[in-house]
Amino acid sequence: MAETQNVYEIPIGPIHPALKEPIRFTFRVEGERIRGVDIRAGFAHRGIEFMAMKRNLIQTLYLSERICGICSISHPITITLAVERAAGIEVPPRAQYLRVIYSELERIHSHLLWAGVAAHELGFDTLLHLTWKVREQVLDLLEELSGNRIDYALPIYGGVRRDVAPEQIPKVEAMVRYYRGLLDELLDAFLRDPSVEARTRNVGILTPKEADSLCAVGPTARASGLSKDVRQDRPYLVYGELGVKAITPRDYGLEPRGDVYDKAVVRLLEVAQSLDLIETCLYEMPEGEITSFPKIPALLAFLKKAEGEGLGWHEAPRGEVIHYIRLEAGVEEPIVWKVKAPTYSNLMSWVPMFRDQEVADIPIIAASIDPCMCCMDRVHVVRDGSPGTVLKEELLRLSRAKTDRVTRHLSPVPRHGGGL
Amino acid sequence: MTADQVKKALASAVPGLEVELRPRPVGVRTRVEVPELWAEIPREGLVPAVAALKAAGPLHISVISGRDTGEGIELLYHFAAGYGTPGGEVTVTLRVTVSKADPVLPSICGLLPGSETAEREKIEFLGVEFTGIPSTAHVFLPDDFPGYPWRKDDPETAKLVNRLVEWEGKNG
Repeated sequence: MAETQNVYEIPIGPIHPALKEPIRFTFRVEGERIRGVDIRAGFAHRGIEFMAMKRNLIQTLYLSERICGICSISHPITITLAVERAAGIEVPPRAQYLRVIYSELERIHSHLLWAGVAAHELGFDTLLHLTWKVREQVLDLLEELSGNRIDYALPIYGGVRRDVAPEQIPKVEAMVRYYRGLLDELLDAFLRDPSVEARTRNVGILTPKEADSLCAVGPTARASGLSKDVRQDRPYLVYGELGVKAITPRDYGLEPRGDVYDKAVVRLLEVAQSLDLIETCLYEMPEGEITSFPKIPALLAFLKKAEGEGLGWHEAPRGEVIHYIRLEAGVEEPIVWKVKAPTYSNLMSWVPMFRDQEVADIPIIAASIDPCMCCMDRVHVVRDGSPGTVLKEELLRLSRAKTDRVTRHLSPVPRHGGGL
Repeated sequence: MTADQVKKALASAVPGLEVELRPRPVGVRTRVEVPELWAEIPREGLVPAVAALKAAGPLHISVISGRDTGEGIELLYHFAAGYGTPGGEVTVTLRVTVSKADPVLPSICGLLPGSETAEREKIEFLGVEFTGIPSTAHVFLPDDFPGYPWRKDDPETAKLVNRLVEWEGKNG
């Protein structure tokens, strides 16, 4: 497949155990430069949509939670919104606020997870350990509220399954205070660090035009300067009245470049935004019921009679999730259930992001769209038709060696942006 | 963008197109209605309709969903038109049905390159074809996967279902 004698092919993958849609990249490289990439997903396609056609809607709800461990609030919220729309179910006001609180808690833990992974890919394991240590606080709170660190089983058609009890409110407030106190330190560690800047500035660029035409979503699109956030553009739950604004690097006083650095800016600022939203919801949330169907058999009987189709959408930590559902009266199973996760929309964005970049930048660019990835398993290098295998560690070693190389003579960068 | 603007753009591209507005009540303190537009469109109208939506403002394709209706294959193109302003996005779903004897649709990748993944997925799962698509390589299923999992008349899929039912012990 080599176009010239000097162009080699490097396949990476296919199995990336942490990805919900595992990916194989086949890079065409000339020296250290990437000239093109082919992307192939689906090596562990589990056929979840197909499985739902054999299950009732309650079982499908729990199945939806298992699409992705990190987004185990986002998918259930989206399917409940779709089914509620199709079946005509009202959600009590308090439940709508609670859903927002749980979603924003998920965003905080997901963005901190990403920040840690990004630090690791660059070779800053101290920063990885710091970020994941502070992430524990939000996981502890999720465990306090739901009983679990991951897979919370909170949303149900017509509401949520658990309330925030009065004695838990101080714990939520303590978490908000904890992260607010820590944000400046995190911004310092990521955005004002000369080594991070040297490795992420002007690396893996996605221009606004490309982000728009490739229909990129979430922080991947916003880092390129697009004001695109489902919470802002297409109100649902109570996001409309909370006045959510899409965050771009402009909110940090920077002109968006769409590189890896900008993606870090957007995600870290969104942690602060989520804290504000949680606090507002906590105080504005009215008293009342948390579900319109407290008894599951009654809900199941109602759903069995429901007929119609509906869409549900949600801004997950990585971007737009959308579910389409079609129900027929007398049939327990959904006739159609289509799930679209954010990585699906961001898949094509990798192509321009990798173009003309260095092999050593593959890990950080791949991680920059946050494809739920924490490890790449192996790399095959095909040179002159003789395949050899390079482990993922080798790629990581290249990335870290580059960090050492580019940061050897760096002095601290002046602070830019006024912070928050 | 408003629902009327989107409706007007669609009507100018495909004369006689009936667009249904399904307002979606949202919010607790201040209830607003988020517009959802749904339209059944002939396959010849698809490209002009998408071109008109694109010309009207920022356009995003969420996904294409679909099903086997028995006689034909129904595809639903879920778009969102006009991102960038609070509450300014209108969801537009275009429903296109093709017969199983001629399951060919025009690709919209030329207008909206972001729709390639969604189109390629439909080739694998429903056995439809898109004219003008840049690549028809599989995205999710293995290259040698037999059949189309979302087709209800597909013998390979039927075998798969039988195995699943057997495995779950539901055949008793």
